[in-house]
Amino acid sequence: MAQAETRHPAHPVPAPYTGRTAIDLDVVREIMSHFHYDDFEEAQELILSALQEVNEHFGWVSYEAAEIVAEALGTTVNRVYALLTFYADFRTEPRGVHHLLVCHGVSCYVLGSQALVQHIRDHYGIGDGETTADEQLSLQVVNGCLGVCDWSPVVKLDDSYSGHQTPESLTALINRAIAGKQAKEESNGAHSAD
Amino acid sequence: MHTAPTDQLPRLQSKDDFLAFQKQAQEQWDGLWNGDRTVVSVGIGSSSIAKGALDVLAACRNELGDSAIVRETSGNGAFWMEPWIEVKRPNEPPVLYGPLSTDDVPGVLAGARDDLTVGVRGDEPYKSARPLKEHPFFKDQHPILTRNAGLIDPNSIEEAIAQGAYQGYFKVLFEMTEDEAIQEVTTANVRGRGGGGFPAGIKWASGRKAKATPKFVICNSHEGEPNVYKDRQLHECDPHRILEGILIACIACGAERGYNYIGGEYPLAIARFRKAVEDAERIGLIGHNILGTGKNVAFRLRTGGGAYICGEASALMYSVMGVRGQPRTKPPRSVEEGVWKRPTVANNTETLACVPDIITRGGEWFASIGTEKSKGTKLMTVQGPMARCGVVEVDMGMTLRKLLFDIFGGMKEGYKFKGVQTGGVSSGPVTEKELDIPVDFDSLTPVGGMLGSGGWVIFDETTCVVDFARYLTEFSRYESCSKCVPCRLGNPALVEIVDRIRLGRGSEDDITLIKRTAKHVIELSLCGLGQVAPVPLEGMINVFEDEFRAHVVDHVCPTGHCPIAAREPALAAAD
Ligand SMILES: Cc1cc2nc3c(=O)[nH]c(=O)nc-3n(C[C@H](O)[C@H](O)[C@H](O)COP(=O)(O)O)c2cc1C
Ligand code: FES
Repeated sequence: MAQAETRHPAHPVPAPYTGRTAIDLDVVREIMSHFHYDDFEEAQELILSALQEVNEHFGWVSYEAAEIVAEALGTTVNRVYALLTFYADFRTEPRGVHHLLVCHGVSCYVLGSQALVQHIRDHYGIGDGETTADEQLSLQVVNGCLGVCDWSPVVKLDDSYSGHQTPESLTALINRAIAGKQAKEESNGAHSAD
Repeated sequence: MHTAPTDQLPRLQSKDDFLAFQKQAQEQWDGLWNGDRTVVSVGIGSSSIAKGALDVLAACRNELGDSAIVRETSGNGAFWMEPWIEVKRPNEPPVLYGPLSTDDVPGVLAGARDDLTVGVRGDEPYKSARPLKEHPFFKDQHPILTRNAGLIDPNSIEEAIAQGAYQGYFKVLFEMTEDEAIQEVTTANVRGRGGGGFPAGIKWASGRKAKATPKFVICNSHEGEPNVYKDRQLHECDPHRILEGILIACIACGAERGYNYIGGEYPLAIARFRKAVEDAERIGLIGHNILGTGKNVAFRLRTGGGAYICGEASALMYSVMGVRGQPRTKPPRSVEEGVWKRPTVANNTETLACVPDIITRGGEWFASIGTEKSKGTKLMTVQGPMARCGVVEVDMGMTLRKLLFDIFGGMKEGYKFKGVQTGGVSSGPVTEKELDIPVDFDSLTPVGGMLGSGGWVIFDETTCVVDFARYLTEFSRYESCSKCVPCRLGNPALVEIVDRIRLGRGSEDDITLIKRTAKHVIELSLCGLGQVAPVPLEGMINVFEDEFRAHVVDHVCPTGHCPIAAREPALAAAD
């Protein structure tokens, strides 16, 4: 389905999958170097935005990354963790090679998203926020609307949206993505940064 | 006309500078449409991107190179025609085509794909194409806040100004006093579009009166409800309108800084709004000594992290201050003690987006639209198995029937209407017999519905209301901030009871138990989330009592779409 190759502000290109290895902290430092503030109040206002950027870049925020954010903004890692664990967008565990968002907005619910979530649980053994043991797939159930309601039920696998999903089409979609990535890695040599 | 990078924009230092800039922008705009080059505009919004609009944009650029102007504009709310492009050839009116794929692009650009035509932008038909505004989806709309949707490039401050942006701000800076500005908003009687319906003029007046300084204005663009995306649409199609509304509020209330808090789930809205702020700062509409008036307004854009509760005004302010977004008890109200314990005027995006036109065209004009107690237009989003989906802007007071069946084209083929869930997760459903009620702030209340933020979810005959009620209660359970006990414990209890019913183990007592538990949660919760969390469930029970009874008495699901239906008959018999 729709594949957006073009770079666009609405399409932040995620960093290559880094697996369970640690986040490159120099990149976090580089991200933090763009945050400037005049006083402690302003610094506190920036914590969420900073976490958002780190999370968007790596797909999760590690403890070490949280420490750097805290230090750069003159606060404690406890404070940063309080936010990481409160806001649904943030993850404190790495994502799988493929990250699946299942829209669970009302429109998608009415048209069957519940069955998709159940299917992922039955078929891949993961629930919201979890990753399969082989680290191939992680799931996030979006408790809002992905904004393409006329395609309900909608999923977003990595970069591309697919609509009108059924459990069968979803399995096919996931299998294709996993197979595609592996084929690419074999021809490029493992862990190429594509 | 091209979209200038921020650093190539001039700095405007005076009233005359602004007027000259406006004139130049206007000339450029006219030149764009009357030139001798073809202009191709591609509607880029988050919904069209999902359907490949960026690829369509790239295909147009590839196909045409420098032979035509290919520009980005926003989505126009009509999801059903996305991705679309508009082709304006010299001496012809602009014609829209959609929905199309990259493969269709060459044919459309060569003028060989009349089958994909949706309409002409303009009043007159052209060849076989009818004016788009005669299409049922657009015919009954009244675009005021969304009139630039699908027209201007939302990344271009020049195009926005050419279409009248910042005229209201200009008027407030040079031609009227702060009190007069507040008076216009009061006369307009614009009520809060965030769900509450509180008159903005009154809020602004208290903001102005508040003694402590500095003061702030905050625009609530969080929109965490699972059924609306109107604020996202406003940001994507006309970010300068929102910014202008916030800046006017800052001047009128004497606030030194404006904020906009956007949910992190909306990357395109954030990107476009950020560009708008940078451009406005660059040309000198934000900052020190604005256009030489000596007035100062600072601005900060803040983003959230996906927690519905952060839409509640006090939670929103905590979130801005970098802590967990958990509401607090009131008083003090936020106009007394808000962000950093300073007086803060909080308004919804759509409320603030009404302001520029109220100032330029007058409060009386605004008050002449809509119904007696609900003025102006309202953005509406519709979800579910409908013929068309999208965002529309209509006058307050339109009937639900007209909205759902004329504008959105009724049910999709093969689906049968059962009801409409109103007010997102904060209210109950209405059915067929209530469809002739006008949609405004107050009319739906007697039948247990609500306008809320204008999101309507249509569900069909195959939806089991017990299951649906569980979904809505589960949403509130999940999103509860856990600060107060009734909400934290009451909502899981409600979900548990409904689950019992859904699994075929319910009894009639469970209905009574739900009502008792709901009463506790509603009366004792700290904030608006808990206070309404059980309302959808109660509403479903009231409206679809028979269906609930079938679940608890006969242990069957009439629609066959909840877990009862999937149970082994032997198991059911054993209970
Ligand atoms: C749980 C909860 C969620 C809310 N979510 C939003 C929201 O997403 N957007 C919004 O503008 N107002 C939301 N509100 C209402 C705000 O508290 C506040 O009333 C509103 O932003 C004020 O602006 P208005 O008067 O212009 O509507 C929410 C309220 C509650 C209790
Ligand atoms: S509810 Fe899923 S895309 Fe809108």
